[in-house]
Amino acid sequence: MNSRARRPPKNAMTPPDKSDPMHVPILKQGPYLIASIQSALTDSDLFQLRDDLVERVGRARSRGVIIDVTVLEVMDSFACRVLRDLVNMIKLRGAEAVIVGIQPEVAFAMVQLGLSLEGAVTALDLEEGLAYLDRQVGGGRGRGR
Amino acid sequence: MADEVRVPIAREADIVAARQKGRALAAELGFSSCDQTLIATAISEVARNIVTYAQSGEISLSILDQGGPQGILTIARDRGPGIPDIKQALQDGYSTAGSLGLGLPGAKRMMDEFEIASEPGKGTTIRMKKWKR
Amino acid sequence: MAELPDRSLTHKMGLTREEITRRKEFLELDDKDVERLRGLHDLAGQYANAVIEEFYNHLLGFREGREFFRDAAVLERVKVAQKKYFLELTGGSYGESYVESRLQIGLAHERINLPIQLYLGMYNFYLRAIASRFLDAQKAKPAEAFQNFLSVLKLVFFDMGLAIETYIHERESTIVTQQEAIRELSTPVLRLRDRLLIMPIIGVIDSHRASQLTQHLLQRIRTDRAKVVVMDITGVPTVDSAVANHLSQAVQASRLMGATVIVTGLSAEVAQTLVRLGVDLTKVRTVGDLQEGIEEAEQLLGYELARPPAAEKRDDPA
Repeated sequence: MNSRARRPPKNAMTPPDKSDPMHVPILKQGPYLIASIQSALTDSDLFQLRDDLVERVGRARSRGVIIDVTVLEVMDSFACRVLRDLVNMIKLRGAEAVIVGIQPEVAFAMVQLGLSLEGAVTALDLEEGLAYLDRQVGGGRGRGR
Repeated sequence: MADEVRVPIAREADIVAARQKGRALAAELGFSSCDQTLIATAISEVARNIVTYAQSGEISLSILDQGGPQGILTIARDRGPGIPDIKQALQDGYSTAGSLGLGLPGAKRMMDEFEIASEPGKGTTIRMKKWKR
Repeated sequence: MAELPDRSLTHKMGLTREEITRRKEFLELDDKDVERLRGLHDLAGQYANAVIEEFYNHLLGFREGREFFRDAAVLERVKVAQKKYFLELTGGSYGESYVESRLQIGLAHERINLPIQLYLGMYNFYLRAIASRFLDAQKAKPAEAFQNFLSVLKLVFFDMGLAIETYIHERESTIVTQQEAIRELSTPVLRLRDRLLIMPIIGVIDSHRASQLTQHLLQRIRTDRAKVVVMDITGVPTVDSAVANHLSQAVQASRLMGATVIVTGLSAEVAQTLVRLGVDLTKVRTVGDLQEGIEEAEQLLGYELARPPAAEKRDDPA
């Protein structure tokens, strides 16, 4: 498996250049895909991620997807909608989806804003997300499937 | 520390720029990490409204310091179509569920003071303040 | 007159120009008084040193006074400051800088824990020292001397009001700080066992405290990697819709971090009332009391532990 792709330094002061959209690295880990979101994603980056990920899920026939938002500093209503759409589209492709890594401050701001990520499974971090997928998907051993 | 920072809002990349500047200013003033996130998120919401509904506008950030605790004043201005029914826009449940959300009730909850003035056809100005605890 | 810097004590204590003017009106401290006081400046200059010396000798005659001035260098410095203060009483300028300087002096005395009795005692001494000397210097015109004295009296009362105010302000700030500390202490988050946190909430929950509780809980969920939180609200006296909404937010925020919150101590009646008020409790899992909550939490955790992950499969290169 690839070693984790280098993340750009967490430099919150550099706005993204529109001509070079930030590609979110999507890694394969066993039957799962892991997308690690970087900070300061623009709207088009989010749309790009959604399309990329859905396409990959189909292509790789992944059983589960983890969307890691650990480094995301702000989750506003738009990001929330896109993530919800993403989760739904992944489910439509027959895969499980888990959002992991929402930080305390971000979770707090989200509920103040009234955002709930309803219908999406959330877990503390990558480790928990993988454990969840293993339980759900079970490497082939489903729940009475 | 500059007295006022203005961020023109015309494209969605400006939303990120505005909220990052807001966070940076809050961090400089010593706001807690959580409050920094609240400020950045509220700025993100109002900036997004400008892009979505008014095409262009401006976010201005300034420091409030009158002898007591310090604070940040955010003013979001645009010359867009305006909000016909402000009361309704500020009602919970009206905006967040659908895709046409204005995010205003949420932004108001996250701030300590929140004022909105809007005239259909003329534009909208939102003033929000958050004080350091 | 130069503007006071915004972070002055006057601003911090919320003393507006209007308030200061009103106090002077209340004391009937007017321009005539200011003129009289100014006119006494030379006289005051003549016996300033004597008055200050007498005062400190008086003070040092008492044990409490001696305790504060054991260090000779400190005593000297204080005498110099007091002389300046004394002369300002007849300086003729009683505006914003005067007020600010009085507040600063009051604060300095409060900070060294000088009892307010001693502080007020100082004013008393000044008044008597001034009274006797005025009468002496203006023997020929006792009526005028008395008028002068009344002007000084008004100003000294103005000063005392400011001094007392700084003491109150400082004490109140301390109280607020201590209340915050008590609030922190009154909501411990306890790690009962691995992945399981307990949060017994005691006392009134207002929106500020609710934010603090929630933020603290979320931080703990991260550091303790908690999967289940039992939040007990038996100790919360009033659970109205506002409190219920705060709890609901805490529950939802915790879920975003992958933790399930079980709320215990919410009586059936209160729950019914809240539902009738339109509070959405569907997303809040409520269970009878703390004990039952812990049992349910352990069941939840046990359920997940009983279905072990297929660990080997995870490392297979697909």
